[in-house]
Amino acid sequence: MIDFTNVVKTYPNGTVALNGVNLHIDDGEFVFVVGSTGAGKSTLMKLLLREEKATSGTIIVDGTDLSKLSYFKVPQYRRKLGVVFQDFRLFPKKTAYENVAFAMQVVGTPSKKIRRRVPALLNTLSLGDKANCFPNELSGGEQQRVAMARALANNPKILIADEPTGNIDPKMSLEIMNLLVKINKLGKTVLVVTHAKELVDYYQQRVVMIENGHVSDDRVGGMYNK
Amino acid sequence: MKRYRPTYFIGQAFSGLWRNGVMSFASIAVLMSCLVVLGSFTLLVANININLEALGLMNQIVAFVDDDMTEDDISRIEREIKSIPYVGNVTHITESEALDEWIEQVGEYGDLYEQFRDDNPLPDSFVLEYVDGAHYSDIMYNLGRIEGIESIRDERSLANTMQSLKNGIMLIFSWFLIVLFVVSVFVIINTVKLSVYSRKNEIEIMRYVGATGTFISLPFIIEGALIGLTASMLAYIVENFLYDYIQKSMADVVNVIKIIPLSDIRVVLFFGFAAVGIVTGIIGSTISLSKYTRS
Ligand SMILES: Nc1ncnc2c1ncn2[C@@H]1O[C@H](COP(=O)(O)OP(=O)(O)O)[C@@H](O)[C@H]1O
Ligand SMILES: [Mg+2]
Repeated sequence: MIDFTNVVKTYPNGTVALNGVNLHIDDGEFVFVVGSTGAGKSTLMKLLLREEKATSGTIIVDGTDLSKLSYFKVPQYRRKLGVVFQDFRLFPKKTAYENVAFAMQVVGTPSKKIRRRVPALLNTLSLGDKANCFPNELSGGEQQRVAMARALANNPKILIADEPTGNIDPKMSLEIMNLLVKINKLGKTVLVVTHAKELVDYYQQRVVMIENGHVSDDRVGGMYNK
Repeated sequence: MKRYRPTYFIGQAFSGLWRNGVMSFASIAVLMSCLVVLGSFTLLVANININLEALGLMNQIVAFVDDDMTEDDISRIEREIKSIPYVGNVTHITESEALDEWIEQVGEYGDLYEQFRDDNPLPDSFVLEYVDGAHYSDIMYNLGRIEGIESIRDERSLANTMQSLKNGIMLIFSWFLIVLFVVSVFVIINTVKLSVYSRKNEIEIMRYVGATGTFISLPFIIEGALIGLTASMLAYIVENFLYDYIQKSMADVVNVIKIIPLSDIRVVLFFGFAAVGIVTGIIGSTISLSKYTRS
């Protein structure tokens, strides 16, 4: 599903963010990505999203070689991925329903299908009664769940979450992680970048550690309670 | 398959215009001024052109016959003129025809000159047309040798003066126009940039969920086109007033100069303005979007 081979990313200002990353992730896996600030985790996600291009090495996602992906095909490629960020990034002037529906409108989904799918998604994420709330009427955990519903709206194969619980209190964080695991069980490949040690240890999933721009550890189970 | 509502794009474009009201207004004002100058300049040149044509000044020489020539002399002179190499059409204008033309040109009080009909002070004349300006001096030399020609009016020099006047005007206005258009495009670029910037976060999200470049840019392109369209409609109105005013004040002063009637140019003016305005708007917004549609 996802294959990084000797991936190097040097930013235009000279910062070497990734320095030879090799990583293979299978279809349907759940992977935590951990590492200290500045280690290169977000850069890894940006490369996956094709927001940045690798300086060298190859990245192959679901059969697509990202270095050979032309500009015009990037939108089509991104529809295979759903993204969730630490800061939610919802439209403040749209309701929960509209935020999710917008992601589908943007890719030209017929409105009949949108009307069917959005309520179902909101229910899956336990937001059925919040459909008409605006982001500022929702808690952090609820906003993040709206963002997750939006990420899933176009039925991506891969869900990427970059520190999804960074702005959420610990109790709610558990709920978000539970949902991510549930989404993984529904058949999606899920990548979660996180600093939450307890959660990583609690879930006993595959953990990939990034240090100084490369993979320093890759194992199943807890990372911090050696 | 793909079903995008056009109302979405147009709605977004209008809200962009509204959100950056001051900048939108500035863009429209600058582009409008630019279009008015372009229009005025084009109309001026067009009017100079029809006057040049109407007067038929380009390749003509008028030879006036001595007043005391007999009918026989006049037909001899005509024969001799026609035999000059490179002379094309030769038109004989009798003194009576010359008077008719004079009366017509004077206009309102022309009838006063009817009294000269029997004792006509105007001479007979011949209008020579020639094709190639290179033979001009040969023709003038040969004309000068014909007995009975009193004077020769070389209308080419007047035409030249008008032509070079026209060229001068065109040169100055061309530069002026280029500068104005660059300024217009620059202002539109910044207006649309501001609009793009205020929707930076939206654009980012749209990109993440897989919106195409076209989907993201279309509202901004329409916004630019709307600026252009509004500017061109205002310019059309202003130009109409301006032209009408000038035409009326000219009509009182001189009626020798021909002025293209407004009704003849309305349609061209309207569509010309709309086309230039919209294209300028689209160019401006496309340039300001290039950063977002790449990478
Ligand atoms: N757009 C950028 N331009 C230049 N340097 C960057 C950019 N983004 C990240 N970096 C640098 O790359 C390194 C890795 O950053 P990042 O991938 O964000 O790390 P993490 O997400 O693990 O904290 C850091 O040193 C950071 O300063
Ligand atoms: Mg990061």
